[in-house]
Amino acid sequence: MDSSEDDGNKVAHLWPDPPAFWKDFTPENIERYNALKQTYAQQHGLSSDALVRIPDVPADLINLQPPPEPVDGKWKLYGQQEALANSLQSLEDAGIQRLAPASETTSDSKHFDRGFELKKLAKSLLVNYLELMGIMSINPAHASEKVQDIKTIVLNFHHILNEYRPHQAREQLIQLMQDHLDAKRNETAAVRAVVDKAKRLIEGLASIEIPKVEDDNGRKAVEVERAALAERREIAAWQEADALFT
Amino acid sequence: MGDRLTQLQEAMDELLEMFLSAFFWVERHHDLKTFGPNDKIPDLKADQPKEVDTKSPEEYKAGQLQLARDIIVKEQQIEYLISTLPGLDNSEREQIQLLRELEDDLVTAEAQRQEALKERDEVLGKLDALLRGLERP
Repeated sequence: MDSSEDDGNKVAHLWPDPPAFWKDFTPENIERYNALKQTYAQQHGLSSDALVRIPDVPADLINLQPPPEPVDGKWKLYGQQEALANSLQSLEDAGIQRLAPASETTSDSKHFDRGFELKKLAKSLLVNYLELMGIMSINPAHASEKVQDIKTIVLNFHHILNEYRPHQAREQLIQLMQDHLDAKRNETAAVRAVVDKAKRLIEGLASIEIPKVEDDNGRKAVEVERAALAERREIAAWQEADALFT
Repeated sequence: MGDRLTQLQEAMDELLEMFLSAFFWVERHHDLKTFGPNDKIPDLKADQPKEVDTKSPEEYKAGQLQLARDIIVKEQQIEYLISTLPGLDNSEREQIQLLRELEDDLVTAEAQRQEALKERDEVLGKLDALLRGLERP
């Protein structure tokens, strides 16, 4: 490695140096770490993919495993606080009056009422707009209250939509899996159909009989006939094969 | 199934935008009126920019009607989108249950598919051998 990198003239660097532990990621170390991980996974009957951290790693390999989850569930990224549990800020926290009744978030709750609430909000938005227009034409000074009302309605509307997002995500996953399943079943059915067809073709080929030679008198005629029959049989077989593969 | 929620949010934004532009249109094109008999509409000087660009009453009415109709249509779109939100009748527990079932179904379907593929290969081999035999009758 070029030793000038360690010369301490870091001022010349545009970007800060990478963290010192990047040097630990040598192929040998990675190999050793993976081996450790494998053995640990086997000892504990876990899949090595599911395993994130293993305890008691040798000191020189300590940097190879990812750091533990933050204990308090929070960390900073680009100067912004991030949380493990990415929860939606509630309307009350944002200082907005809640118009729709707070929906209980038990796993059994249905969402009929949510659609109904959204429709109610949309309707009252129209009414409020009409009122705003009326107020503006009579006394514009009083309009700000109405604008505030409209703002509250719109924020409530968006809030309900955002609450709905996880639900929609699951719903989309269901849809996706259903499509996948359907595609698989269709494919299986199509393969089976072709297999059946091919089986019938084989049976058809097997059932073609060659007529027996009856007597010596007509041997010549029979031979001619047999040649013609063989030819016909071959043509028939190829036709069937063609039909199958077109 | 598109992303109905995003569609809905965008429709809402569009509706608000329409509110705004309708408001500006009305504000720009309305007529001037006096409140009492003593009020007077001041005559504007020629070089002064006009505060309102008054349309004729028919034009104004037609414009208002148009704007109102557009807003109503948008509102109806929003309500339609709300009513087509996916899975309004599914609870979270049902969804998870459904997901589990689908997962199992997928596994069995995959097994069946593999079986069918195997059978196909076998039959194909048989047929191949048969056709090879046919070459010399």
